[in-house]
Amino acid sequence: MKRRDFIQYATSSFFLPLILDGFGAKAHTKATTPFMKAMQQIADANDRILVVIQLNGGNDGLNMVLPLDQYSTYTASNFRGNIAIPENKVLKLNGKPETGLHPSMTGLQTLYNEGKLSIIQAAGYANPSFSHFRASDIWFTAVDSDKISTSGWLGRYVENTYDGFPDNYPSSSNPDPLAIQISSISSTAFVTSSASAALAIQDPDTFAKIVGDKPNIISGDLPDTPAGKYTAFIRQQQISSVAYAGQLKIAAGKGKNLVTYPTQNTLADQLKIVSRLIAGGLQTKIYYVTLGGFDTHSNQVNAGDTSVGSHADLLSKLSSGIKAFMDDLKAQGNDNKVVGMTFSEFGRRAISNGSRGTDHGWASPLFVFGNAVKTQMIGKNPNLKDLDNNNIKLQTDFRQVYASILTDWMGASEATVKTILLDKTFSILPIFRQQQVLGTETEVPGTNFKIYPNPAVGETILESDKFNGGISDLQLSDMTGRNYSSRWSQLSANKIRLDLSNLPSGKYLVCVETRQEPIVGTLVVSH
Amino acid sequence: MALLDTHKTPLTTAQVAHLLRRTTFGHTPSLLSSLSGKKAEDIIQILLTDKPAPAPPTDENGQTFHDLPFGFPETVDADKNKNDGKKRARIKWWTAGLMVNQPASILEKMTLFWQNHFVSTATVVSDARFIYRQSQLLRKYALGNFKTFVVEITKDPAMLLYLNGNQNVVGKPNENYGRELQELFTIGRGNYDENDVKAASKVLTGWRPLNYRSAAQADIGVEFRPASHDTTDKVFSASYQNTVIKGRTGATAGEEELNELINMILAQDETARFIVRKFYRWFVQADISPQIETEVIEPLAKVFRKDYEIKPVLQTLFRSNHFYDENLIGSQIKSPLDLIVGTMRIFNQIAPDSGNDRTSYDLFTQYVYSQAKVQQMDIFDQPTVFGWRPYYDTDFYEIWINSTTLALRGSFTDAIVKGSNAMKINIDSVNLAKQVSEPSDPVILINELSENMYPFALTQEQKDYLIDQVLIPGLPRYEWQLEWQAYTSDPTNNAKRNAVKLKLNSLLQFMLRLAEYQMG
Repeated sequence: MKRRDFIQYATSSFFLPLILDGFGAKAHTKATTPFMKAMQQIADANDRILVVIQLNGGNDGLNMVLPLDQYSTYTASNFRGNIAIPENKVLKLNGKPETGLHPSMTGLQTLYNEGKLSIIQAAGYANPSFSHFRASDIWFTAVDSDKISTSGWLGRYVENTYDGFPDNYPSSSNPDPLAIQISSISSTAFVTSSASAALAIQDPDTFAKIVGDKPNIISGDLPDTPAGKYTAFIRQQQISSVAYAGQLKIAAGKGKNLVTYPTQNTLADQLKIVSRLIAGGLQTKIYYVTLGGFDTHSNQVNAGDTSVGSHADLLSKLSSGIKAFMDDLKAQGNDNKVVGMTFSEFGRRAISNGSRGTDHGWASPLFVFGNAVKTQMIGKNPNLKDLDNNNIKLQTDFRQVYASILTDWMGASEATVKTILLDKTFSILPIFRQQQVLGTETEVPGTNFKIYPNPAVGETILESDKFNGGISDLQLSDMTGRNYSSRWSQLSANKIRLDLSNLPSGKYLVCVETRQEPIVGTLVVSH
Repeated sequence: MALLDTHKTPLTTAQVAHLLRRTTFGHTPSLLSSLSGKKAEDIIQILLTDKPAPAPPTDENGQTFHDLPFGFPETVDADKNKNDGKKRARIKWWTAGLMVNQPASILEKMTLFWQNHFVSTATVVSDARFIYRQSQLLRKYALGNFKTFVVEITKDPAMLLYLNGNQNVVGKPNENYGRELQELFTIGRGNYDENDVKAASKVLTGWRPLNYRSAAQADIGVEFRPASHDTTDKVFSASYQNTVIKGRTGATAGEEELNELINMILAQDETARFIVRKFYRWFVQADISPQIETEVIEPLAKVFRKDYEIKPVLQTLFRSNHFYDENLIGSQIKSPLDLIVGTMRIFNQIAPDSGNDRTSYDLFTQYVYSQAKVQQMDIFDQPTVFGWRPYYDTDFYEIWINSTTLALRGSFTDAIVKGSNAMKINIDSVNLAKQVSEPSDPVILINELSENMYPFALTQEQKDYLIDQVLIPGLPRYEWQLEWQAYTSDPTNNAKRNAVKLKLNSLLQFMLRLAEYQMG
């Protein structure tokens, strides 16, 4: 069997196969076609890496990023009195007196104050699902909440960026796995039309076995029977058949962790591996790690001291894990190459329950970290007096975060990003750009779609060359997904006037169905 | 208590599953429940009951092709070869389909045993009609009389072609078959000498296939040509008590001498032992200790020698206490066909109807066959006359497994869980979960799903891992109940169904990749 065919079988699997050192030499697919040459140049030029951190269970964002400007509401007994973080313990952020971080997140506080952390407020999507599975699937696949997709956004990124994936991989210019996940099962985020785009390393222990370190977990003794003997034999074969095992072993051998990572921290364990592989020169573009336990329905804080407890422990792991990772990258000289993002399937209810916990909710903040960060706060503290069924209202669609990372960090083209996001265009957030001055006009990058004025009062103008072919529909929805009738008229070939007098103040998504494609932009109405 | 004493207590579900894994590639859920609690003896009677011969293989239009001239309807040689290659492939697919859709019978597993014993490969024979003819013979005698079987296979035209019996003529003997008959098919190495190979070869002179690769004649067969037969006396060594088989002339010479030859070989004690050891390695385990040799092989050989009927030997073995020894449950590594056919059966995925749903039937059976092939178990195409290495070579079943085949096994089970519309493969993990007594309880779900999937129970540690790291990683266990109920209270909601389905699929794929699932 050809190595390539072999890896194809391999990439759909958990214990991905490759004969350990068995292939010896790398595949030498010659870069003869102009395309392959171009790809090689891009690969050489763009050594940027994305690290995705999934917080499994639905993170309580309101106790993570604290609204210091609304503390009396926040701490009220009928709001979050039983779990509120004491104001004097909240970690302060430079130049942002109205927002603070949970006391256990000193690491991320430092990163923020060094300009390396961006907080994206109240992210999520319209018409939220409160099911862990369904909500996770929505984040993984980047669909509208009433749609289903069988492939994941990162899988589509790999498929659309690397021509001929997975058939033509690995190749001479991409000898390493394009994505690596440390988990028992492959995330739906990596599913492509054919297989998973990610190599899954079962857990840090499996990694330890692959690279010849001493595993931490000693698996139970197997009986002294033929079955016991064969089970042991197959388990050993499974380890050596992890795909790219040779590649991983080489990279892990070359790479060294240069700082001490926190112990008893499963996230840090995973990030430690990621850092070692990056340092060892592995050309993997995406790493995916997970921290579970965020489903804090009860006792998320201790009764005696609300600043400690199970949620504080999780946030501490998150913060200290990321900080150690960034320090390590810096010590290795790799800190300019890496950007990370966190996400959770949903936030939690703004108002706590009676068990010192919080139930499934809606929008919540997420973090993007790395030296490339330019804007440190996207959006504002949620308005605690303007809730939707006790839920924090949405400010940013999560796919805007994806689009921003794909475009401004990974360097994906407008067309690619649109394909990845299932034929929708989302406005780019200024995470990696200098903050624009709002209030005059906004433009959806690449689409030449302008909305002005924005924010607007009575009416606004939409402008794009793509209107030329005609417009079939114009939809207006607020951030909860509620639709409003739109009153519009076409002023010229590329301009539309939109009447706003029927709309309450707030943030809206404007979707113009042009002949070529739907274009989406964000509009703020303030009467 | 002797190892071969009859196992008297009714079989537990796990024991029935063990018996069916070894004798039928694996259970279907309904077979397992209908046979559990019966005694071994009663189940074996069902398994050993003779079955009518299956309908012959057909082409994509449902037409038989074993009764057509070679390469028909093509006229150019290259096209005829190609055409026959397709027909040979169809015989293999057909065989795979019979395996998946088999009733409660040992017949398919036994036929495969004999195909791997009396190896004649389709590639060498290169005429589909002869391969089909041999497959009929293997099936006919699979549970019959071994003596008759050896006589018939010796005259089988595919065998004559594969081991050069057709070139074995007086004055120019070809000793290939005369050697393998003794070394591989009956008595085993070390029990005869080179002179016996020569003498046996002389006995076997004069046979040849009829209408081999004939584009004019549809009928095939075998003929004995007295003129090509060596009519001298054949003198055997002391290993055979210096037996002399008298040279004969005339039309019945070949048949008469052949019968004498086989009688002579089967009269040796070692022959029954040799065959019984092979049964043992196929059905029980690879390791034959001195104790097993004395207490299992020897007594079974004694049963076999009585009249060389195959059934009584199998019956004695399958009803014995030894066969249900706890230490021997899961004592094999599944062969590729055990894995592939067994996985189809355990999830109730039968081959579509060859009449009503031809396209799906062809895709399905081709898939089963080709999966076994890439995993190094090509039906009717063993690498050598010795058969598949895991049944005779050092390390035995471990030879099935290396990092490549393990990856292929994993990608196969992944694909089955994912399903295929074209092949009508759909294990429907949500429906599977619904069969569990309380699907909303993750502990019960994992317990019951894993119960008959592996030869032996998973450890509590493994089950906890399946729940907390695979089914609902990072979430408290009660969330599974909420998610499951969210789906069952709104069963037509695709998004909710899909949400639990993705989790269940991941779970099943993971479970099928556990080393324990490779145990047979």
